[in-house]
Amino acid sequence: MSTINFANREINFKIVYYGPGLSGKTTNLKWIYGKIPEGRKGEMVSLATEDERTLFFDFLPLDLGEVKGFKTRFHLYTVPGQVFYNASRKLILRGVDGIVFVADSAPNRLRANAESMRNMRENLAEYGLKVEDVPVVLQVNKRDLPDALPVEMVRAVVDPEGRFPVFEAVATEGKGVFETLKEVSRLVLARVASGT
Amino acid sequence: MVEPSLVLYGAPYERAMAVLEETLRETGARYALFIDRKGFVLAHKEALWAPKPPPLDSLATLVAGNAAATQALAKLLGEARFQEVVHQGERMGLYVDEAGEHALLVLIFDESAPLGKVKLYGKRAASALAEITEEALANPPKLPLDTEYQEGAKALLDELLGN
Ligand SMILES: Nc1nc2c(ncn2[C@@H]2O[C@H](COP(=O)(O)OP(=O)(O)OP(=O)(O)O)[C@@H](O)[C@H]2O)c(=O)[nH]1
Ligand SMILES: [Mg+2]
Repeated sequence: MSTINFANREINFKIVYYGPGLSGKTTNLKWIYGKIPEGRKGEMVSLATEDERTLFFDFLPLDLGEVKGFKTRFHLYTVPGQVFYNASRKLILRGVDGIVFVADSAPNRLRANAESMRNMRENLAEYGLKVEDVPVVLQVNKRDLPDALPVEMVRAVVDPEGRFPVFEAVATEGKGVFETLKEVSRLVLARVASGT
Repeated sequence: MVEPSLVLYGAPYERAMAVLEETLRETGARYALFIDRKGFVLAHKEALWAPKPPPLDSLATLVAGNAAATQALAKLLGEARFQEVVHQGERMGLYVDEAGEHALLVLIFDESAPLGKVKLYGKRAASALAEITEEALANPPKLPLDTEYQEGAKALLDELLGN
């Protein structure tokens, strides 16, 4: 759930970028960090290995501005996608308000996409949450790959019921990055406003 | 929802601030932060003489991540929890203690603050803050998150991220 600081009149939301290793989660955050003007973002923190794989998380705070006298902030996190970092991945999900699932369009990552989604369900369950309880947006990334799979094929393995809004992206070029972030933010806001 | 929303305001907030202030005075620490386990800052206080603090958002996030990892380690070893954590460099030190189940106390101090005092008053402050947290959780305020708020926030989203 969102964290509210009445005294400082702040409302904070936590958005987590989830997905298999190398799908482009960190690239999303880097792009956002590069495009958001000074004064509307804080420091980006990256806990990564020497070869730039996320080890624990990336973190980027965004300042939306003041709404009804409350400073509204989005805290963006990425998880480490590599399978063996599951303990860290689980910790990052704590208190999540919204999720961007970044899937990889590469044919040899289709299975990794499916496994990552299953892993996300399991980890949410540890907090007593179902995927249905949290706003989720699906980003199908790396659309620029020459052998990119059709979007529907990627979707079929992570979201067979077609429940989540889908965005195509090329995160390295920023395509679809803001659109994805905006949609998940809107869903998060809609959910808190409806009081569920 | 499993994770309760921790909201500090009014009297509990004022009391938390008083605890932080007193702890700074007693320990000689530079900064005191009261954060939730998710890494959000609930309250913070700086000593009057202290230089500008590092970015608090980043600090809180890293401390919360660290605390979560430490707690997971304790569990692996069959411990309910580990004691408070102290990190000390050549000049600066960091004290982190649990303020109950949902929050953490962070003290940042330099070489002028005696470690014994930091630990002693840090412990006291942590248990005082734990009580305040319980109280705040038992009396959640009405949130201003109505449709008017939602519309306003959406407009700002359009402005920041484009249409
Ligand atoms: N061709 C192409 N490459 C991409 C795209 N997005 C990211 N990449 C590349 O994929 C690699 C991995 O990207 P990251 O953002 O580090 O992946 P990640 O999901 O954070 O990976 P982990 O931290 O291991 O979970 C990098 O070399 C990126 O440049 C894309 O849209 N197209
Ligand atoms: Mg990464």
